[in-house]
Amino acid sequence: MPEQKVLLAGTDKHDLTKLAEYQAIGGYGKGLERARAMTSEELIDELQRATLRGRGGAGFPMGRKASLIDRKSSKPKYLVVNADESEPGAFKDRQVMAEVPHRLIEGCLIAAHAIESTSVFIYIRGEYLTEYEILQGAVDEARAAGLFGGVEITVHRGAGAYICGEETALLESLEGKRGQPRPRPPFPPIQGLYYAPTQINNVCTIATVPTILTIGAEEFAKTGVPSSPGTAIFSISGNVVRPGNYELPLGTPMRELIYEHAGGIANGRELKAVIPGGSSVPALTPDQIDVPLDYDSLGAIGTFFGAASLIVVDDRCCMVQLALRSTKFYAHESCGKCTPCRVGTRWMVQILESIENGTATRADLDLLDSVGDNILGKVLCALGEFAVYPVASYLHKWRDEFVAHVEQGGCPFHGSSSLEGILAPSDQHAHAEVLV
Amino acid sequence: MSAELVRVKIDERDVHVPKGTGIVETALAAGIEIPVFCYEPRLGDPVGACRMCLVEVEGMPKLQTGCTLTAQDGMIVKTARTSEKAAAGQNGTLEFILVNHPLDCPVCDKGGECPLQDLTFRYGPGNTRMSYEKLTFEKPIPISPTISLDRERCILCYRCTRFSSDVSEDGQLVAANRGAMSVITTFEDVPYTGAFTGNVTELCPVGALLPTQYRFEGRPWEIVDVPTVCGLCPVGCNINATVRETKVKRILSRNHPEIDEGWICDKGRFAFTHLRAEDRLTQPLQRTRRHGLEEVTWEAAIDEAERLLRAAQGRIVTALSGSETVEQAYALGKLLRAGLGSHQAMLPEEVSGALDGYRLPLSAIRDADAVVVLGDVPVAERAPVVDLWIKSARRKGARILDSADEVGDAERVVLIWSGPGGRGGATVAKLAEKLTLAGREGCGAFYLPTTPNGRGVADAWAACCDDESDEPDSIGLLVVSGDEAAADPNVRALAEQAEATIVLSMFGGLSAGWADLVLPGTSYLERDGTFVNLEGRLQRLRATVTPPCPDELHWIAELAARFDVDVAPYAAAVFAEVSEKVYDGLSFGEVGESAPLRGYPDAAVRVDRPSLPESQAKPGKTEIRLVAYKPLFSGAAVERVTELQFQRPQPEVELSAEDAGWRNIETGDLVTVGSNGNAITLPARVNRRLGKGIARVAIEHANGLGGIVELARAAEEVSA
Amino acid sequence: MTTFFDEVQEIRKRYPAGARSATLPALRLAQEKHGWLSREAIEETADALEVTPAFCYSVASFYDMFHLEPVGRHTIEICTNLPCALCGAQKVVEAFESALGISAGETTADGEVTLRAVECLGGCGYATVVAVDHRYRQNVKAEDAAEIVEGLDA
Ligand SMILES: Cc1cc2nc3c(=O)[nH]c(=O)nc-3n(C[C@H](O)[C@H](O)[C@H](O)COP(=O)(O)O)c2cc1C
Ligand code: SF4
Ligand code: FES
Repeated sequence: MPEQKVLLAGTDKHDLTKLAEYQAIGGYGKGLERARAMTSEELIDELQRATLRGRGGAGFPMGRKASLIDRKSSKPKYLVVNADESEPGAFKDRQVMAEVPHRLIEGCLIAAHAIESTSVFIYIRGEYLTEYEILQGAVDEARAAGLFGGVEITVHRGAGAYICGEETALLESLEGKRGQPRPRPPFPPIQGLYYAPTQINNVCTIATVPTILTIGAEEFAKTGVPSSPGTAIFSISGNVVRPGNYELPLGTPMRELIYEHAGGIANGRELKAVIPGGSSVPALTPDQIDVPLDYDSLGAIGTFFGAASLIVVDDRCCMVQLALRSTKFYAHESCGKCTPCRVGTRWMVQILESIENGTATRADLDLLDSVGDNILGKVLCALGEFAVYPVASYLHKWRDEFVAHVEQGGCPFHGSSSLEGILAPSDQHAHAEVLV
Repeated sequence: MSAELVRVKIDERDVHVPKGTGIVETALAAGIEIPVFCYEPRLGDPVGACRMCLVEVEGMPKLQTGCTLTAQDGMIVKTARTSEKAAAGQNGTLEFILVNHPLDCPVCDKGGECPLQDLTFRYGPGNTRMSYEKLTFEKPIPISPTISLDRERCILCYRCTRFSSDVSEDGQLVAANRGAMSVITTFEDVPYTGAFTGNVTELCPVGALLPTQYRFEGRPWEIVDVPTVCGLCPVGCNINATVRETKVKRILSRNHPEIDEGWICDKGRFAFTHLRAEDRLTQPLQRTRRHGLEEVTWEAAIDEAERLLRAAQGRIVTALSGSETVEQAYALGKLLRAGLGSHQAMLPEEVSGALDGYRLPLSAIRDADAVVVLGDVPVAERAPVVDLWIKSARRKGARILDSADEVGDAERVVLIWSGPGGRGGATVAKLAEKLTLAGREGCGAFYLPTTPNGRGVADAWAACCDDESDEPDSIGLLVVSGDEAAADPNVRALAEQAEATIVLSMFGGLSAGWADLVLPGTSYLERDGTFVNLEGRLQRLRATVTPPCPDELHWIAELAARFDVDVAPYAAAVFAEVSEKVYDGLSFGEVGESAPLRGYPDAAVRVDRPSLPESQAKPGKTEIRLVAYKPLFSGAAVERVTELQFQRPQPEVELSAEDAGWRNIETGDLVTVGSNGNAITLPARVNRRLGKGIARVAIEHANGLGGIVELARAAEEVSA
Repeated sequence: MTTFFDEVQEIRKRYPAGARSATLPALRLAQEKHGWLSREAIEETADALEVTPAFCYSVASFYDMFHLEPVGRHTIEICTNLPCALCGAQKVVEAFESALGISAGETTADGEVTLRAVECLGGCGYATVVAVDHRYRQNVKAEDAAEIVEGLDA
């Protein structure tokens, strides 16, 4: 299947960061007009019929979420766009903001109308400076052109914390606090930003909305698979020939993405593993890659669609090193609020380190499993689980390699692993030393 | 507004609770305890951080935290008692909590009263699977002279930081860093300062935050907690005094939900070491011609007191402190008034019964729609815990106003007078009358006195005799009761006029220059008796330890006998007499451990002639009204506690941003404040919350200034 | 000239009254002004936001992009997360270390350049990603390090 550009439509021939060019291809046109002519109920109904599933990770239908907003509340309603994209492997939201910022803005205006909101916040990760400038420029241009219709859009920059992609941590951060998740219930549609009803969606989710309104829910639903209609931008990275973003209909086979679009495994190496949804999900073995890329198909084989971001790993990589580097990331990003994640991820790092350097025993492999189990399902938000899912999959699917470390008293790759010696930020962070 | 009852099944037991009740409370209603660490409803919304309270809920795939979940009809909950999954979850959490814990219980002051230790005993793993390096921190570090922090013991439940941000709202104790590196800290080396910091030592569920005064001072099996009431301010917080080997070692709160909700201020918590102050008097002192004050025996002192009382021939004036128990005031009054016909007494402030028609428990402030705070003295300086009630009202959505004109159509209105004047409450009562608050639900008024028991003392003094007399033209004898009175410059001025002076004082230095006879006094922690707090609530004080000198009632009774006045030497008996006249015959025993707000039986009749609000002198355009307030951290007790000195106010003048602005004054600049030739020069602190035209200074730095003053930047030479 | 205080008040106006949402923008502004979040910078921010310095410190220490220690005038930040790591990020780190003569996590002795390894920058398809003064350079190879260091304006 060739690429099918919906979110990125028009980017081949136009500079869509410019308002005029975006309008020239129909932007802020029929879709926005149709939406504004509808009542809130009608609009939410249209979105529900499109079954647009959230692109941020959990795949919850966007229209359903809008229908949960407590519209009777006397408080203002807020729309918050999650542009914190920090999942290792994901870089699709960034391209949308850099290349089609107006499509995102138009999506905001439509979604705000659906939930009767006049106040939109786009929370963009702090590292995305260029993208922020482009997006802010587009917001200013669209506002100046009088397209906002009483809505205000504020672009709010994060400051470097992966956890702020978690929706309630994002809200805390947007409220000016430490980005630590809130317990749920109450869920954001009832009590979100500033204690008011709040809709939170990923950049790609919102940027898909103008297309739905332009072509209609039924037409939209013809692409992709019935349970997950539409297209998604897939980020593919790691050991492939042509890494990058590819917008494809949901349901495209993973093999096609890896071997056709991305050109297969680089340097003539063998495929060893694919982490299909960003680094937080269980990895797949080479025999599992015929799976269609959609929420339910991936779920059926025990992994997640996640952030539609594939990390392709070739045979040079030591899976223990992969696990260790991954866990160091999640431990470093743990917000520190809940016990299992704060303590468990650090403990996992210690166990993995000892496996890698050959001081572990077989009992430590079971301990690693058990520590993971004590995190899964007991944490305040999913970050702790994101640390465990991939590692548990490496441990079970590549168990021989873990056992080999234990039995040979060290890494069987003898320094030749592609991750050999990789430095993690947590090993050099200044603030770690200050207080210890 | 009674919430709908719902049925919840917990561990096979059915309970009915109002919808929305927390599952921890619901379980408790069924007699089942769900272990918690971070959960503490007084700190606001639950945070679900520690994950100790995991329960299984039918229909939910994952374990849920009992602390964040609320009761819904038909819910079926299984705790660790009946659910293996919940038990496994809880054990996992406990293991994680212990992974980095130093397990130093034998040397930890929390040992024996530590929830973590208890839960580890009950559910904890026998051995540890953690064979790697634990996180280590420098320990313990002082976060202030009164509190130490051991980060290795901290389980990051965020109780302390939530208290700081959401209850006392001082925002000084915070979490820093992220993940495993998270630590509790203050900013840089700034000590945790404020009226309420010590509460975090009681909130901390482990031995991380501990009072330095209690370090290695007691083990749980060697101590007893004696319930009493704090006597350092008019709130009368309920406290426990931890006593070991006849010494008070620690003060803890004893949660009275209507008065203090379990919070006490740092003065009440940490000032108790004044009991053992170096200059504490145990022997009477008598002035001799050549040597000044000299120690004498109690017999000699009582003889001398008798002689002075007789010599005055009824021309006796008594200066009371308002910190005497009802019983002491009554006993003294009976001796002086019934025995010697000397009716003249002065209290440091006016006392009025005018508010008796507007009485409310302090907790009613929290539920108000509008709270009007009048007067320029910060509430926390006068009656600290009242400040917490006002803050919780604000958090619940009440408007906090500084003028009664803005009340509008608010339903529940509470007035609070916190400043000089106010005529013992009569002024604010008049305002309450104007707003027709009498009898309206949730409406009422408070006056914040400066003395802890002014009302009780005034009532007792009034009750002991019906006669009256005119002011004597000369003072034969001045009786100064208590350290507050002894420290009062007005009293000292009287002493200069008096032919002789008897002082009842705990500490030597206060009256050394002018007393003729000094009789050692006791502290509120050493007395049996009753106090009446600012709500008009009668409360019971208990002698937590034996004083190093005879109890006042004892020798007053002995002295009274010499004048054929019958005074019982025991508080219970004295109270019985007072009670007949003031408290409707209530018996001493009935006052209660957690006293209810009874009000006064004859409130209506006793209401004084209402006074109109005093008109405050309005400062002119370039003038400033200087409020010289008595800080919370001041007074004879505080002065004797080294660890509390950092809490005393800086020598500085607070002024509003507006007043500072046009004068070109910034925080830290020296300013001169003066009137009538009296002037002080102090650094300025710009306070954006202060109203225009007002400046504030702690009275100890005011050099007698107050009222309308001129204020200007000090000349450059001064600051150089 | 608008002062820092006034600028922060402008930012505060973008958010509902009473909200603390201006904390991150204000800290960023203070960091730009002072180079890092020194004690003075934090106190100044706290004053403008009408919060305590401890609150600002608590927030700042949560986020990786706030510096509570002095940093160089230039920053070079190399992603070493999985996708970049699989494509040789460690070699890029080492190349910068030798070009600058310091280890990752350090600042050159003249206080000019701080070198850091950082977590995923969101450019995984274009490994290795290096943020030079917050501007992304993509597909960076070890051999590009010297030239990038040269190219930093003096
Ligand atoms: C630790 C963590 C990190 C997350 N990071 C992101 C993120 O960077 N971007 C995002 O859109 N969603 C992220 N999510 C998912 C959000 O919580 C949320 O589900 C999503 O923004 C909802 O938008 P959607 O319904 O449009 O997918 C994260 C979740 C977790 C638990
Ligand atoms: S110091 Fe005590 S109260 Fe504060 S977070 Fe740690 S364990 Fe909790
Ligand atoms: S008590 Fe429920 S999570 Fe801490």
